[in-house]
Amino acid sequence: MAMKVKNYDELSDIEIDTLREIGSIGTGNAATSLSQMLGCEVRITLPEVRIMGYNEAIDWIGGPEAITAGVLVGISGEINGIMLSVQPLEFVNLIMSHMLDKELTSYEQMEDLERSALIEIGNIMISTFINALSGLAGISVELSVPSMTVDMQGAILAVPMAEYGGQTDYLMTIGSNFMINNHKVPCRLLLSPDVRSLNYLLRKLGVEND
Amino acid sequence: MINGSKPVVVGIADMKIISGGKIITYALGSCIGICLYDPKLKLAALVHIMLPLNMETGRKNPLKYADTGIRETLKAMQLKGAMKSRITAKAAGGAKMFEVSGKGSLGNIGQRNIESVHAVLKMEGIRLLAEDVGGSVARTLTFDADTGQAIIQSYGKPVKTI
Repeated sequence: MAMKVKNYDELSDIEIDTLREIGSIGTGNAATSLSQMLGCEVRITLPEVRIMGYNEAIDWIGGPEAITAGVLVGISGEINGIMLSVQPLEFVNLIMSHMLDKELTSYEQMEDLERSALIEIGNIMISTFINALSGLAGISVELSVPSMTVDMQGAILAVPMAEYGGQTDYLMTIGSNFMINNHKVPCRLLLSPDVRSLNYLLRKLGVEND
Repeated sequence: MINGSKPVVVGIADMKIISGGKIITYALGSCIGICLYDPKLKLAALVHIMLPLNMETGRKNPLKYADTGIRETLKAMQLKGAMKSRITAKAAGGAKMFEVSGKGSLGNIGQRNIESVHAVLKMEGIRLLAEDVGGSVARTLTFDADTGQAIIQSYGKPVKTI
């Protein structure tokens, strides 16, 4: 039976629900590892699956020009994709105050130690998420060495858009915000699979794809 | 000169044309903003492309790609009276936002975009007067249709005019 490859905007409700569940478990596990690192309570807000046009996605993240830190990990193997940890200054400071007893008023004050701490935090959250996902779907994936930048968030979000832009006019993200000590912190953990990998993943998870 | 009017905003995979005034596109990472300008009419177009070559069947979104995006823009300018022989170009973008190594490494889309923009402009006989491309930082590009100048803003860097 030939299976039609569905694009992001063609997913059914049950497929979206399945992805939301993956997001929930993935970010839940990431929150647990963050909680262990910081030594405080970390929970997640309602996980979201979003399928957005490019310019809609930029509005959703809060405009193109705001400066943010982003940690990116490339996923390959049975599925291909990009996972981003987008870390606004408020989140960065929470990490800094817990790990290094330090606060920043701007990203420009970040030095090597702070950068390594943020890369490490981003990497652990992303790896935990992906471990949960690959366990649930029974697939094996490889992760790239994490890479970090501090720059305009529009250009950071455009990385997964461009990577899969030849396949789709949409960006799909699975992710969530965090609640740290009952305080909502805007750290977005975003998974963007390529279109084929998304279909493969849904099949592996046992969701009908017809 | 007092110019209180807001610049016209160009999104991703988008293009707009102005005659006089300013036009802007934000946060170009690996994407490239190409300003095409007919100085006689002060007619300026800005196209924000994301990928080098259009290989889509059906070609629903020509402005997403350097090749079809630039050609579409030139056509639209000519419909507004621009003469192709007068049109010149300035470009910015094509950065590599993340250095990713090993398995699952991302293609260097920025570099491929730069090469494609150069090739398409050359094929169309459009002179590229100036560019600010490559590197690893995002750029916001503003084009002034009255002066023909392009202004580039990046995080933590001085403003550049080309």
